Amino acid sequence: MGKYAFLFLDDGVDYQTAPTPEQQRVYADIFKWFETNGPKIVDGGAELQPTRTATTIRHAGGKATVVDGPFIEAKESIGGYTIFELPDKDTAIALAKTWPGHGVEIRQLVEARDEQNVPADLAAR
Amino acid sequence: MTQYVLMFVGSDEWRETSSKEEIARGYAAVGKWWDELSANGVLKGGEELAKGPGTATTVRRVNGQMKVFDGPFIESKEQVGGLALIEAPDLDAAIAIAKSWPGGDVEVRPIVVH
Repeated sequence: MGKYAFLFLDDGVDYQTAPTPEQQRVYADIFKWFETNGPKIVDGGAELQPTRTATTIRHAGGKATVVDGPFIEAKESIGGYTIFELPDKDTAIALAKTWPGHGVEIRQLVEARDEQNVPADLAAR
Repeated sequence: MTQYVLMFVGSDEWRETSSKEEIARGYAAVGKWWDELSANGVLKGGEELAKGPGTATTVRRVNGQMKVFDGPFIESKEQVGGLALIEAPDLDAAIAIAKSWPGGDVEVRPIVVH
């Protein structure tokens, strides 16, 4: 078993303001999807407000600068995340394929660390 | 109080070019930040995402069908390396917390309350 972060991809649909009937259907399907897959969730995570609410803190030249907007402007953005415990990556991919929304970035989590808190793969390098 | 997600972003450059000592120091600083904010109730949860080849897979709908792609959703030097859920009185307070993160750049997003 391993833990996988599902970063849910947003393709620009704003479900919070005036969604179309089709978008409302997708949103309802997403709720059902979370109910169905509840037992595999180890951390419910969060649904994020649209990227127009994002603020990014940049550290350039030793100084922190605050800028409006997400860390990268693109057609897709991260709209939420949830952590699942699943047998393996193939199971994670199969589960992500059932996501009613636009898409999912599946990421493995750092689970093994050395005594100094450094991830095992980095410590062993 | 409002909850915000902090997305820690960065490139692999730091991982590849830093010495063992620098990496240990970096993780010690991050660990201290994490422990302090957990202890005072600001930090509600979070995870470090694994980096490097084979640790990211993207599934997205293309012409109505879910298709599988290797790698993160966006090909960029910068990737999300970790997530934290925090509680703060307002956005300014959340930004101040994000500024105190010892690890690099941070995107702050309020969450949807269901």
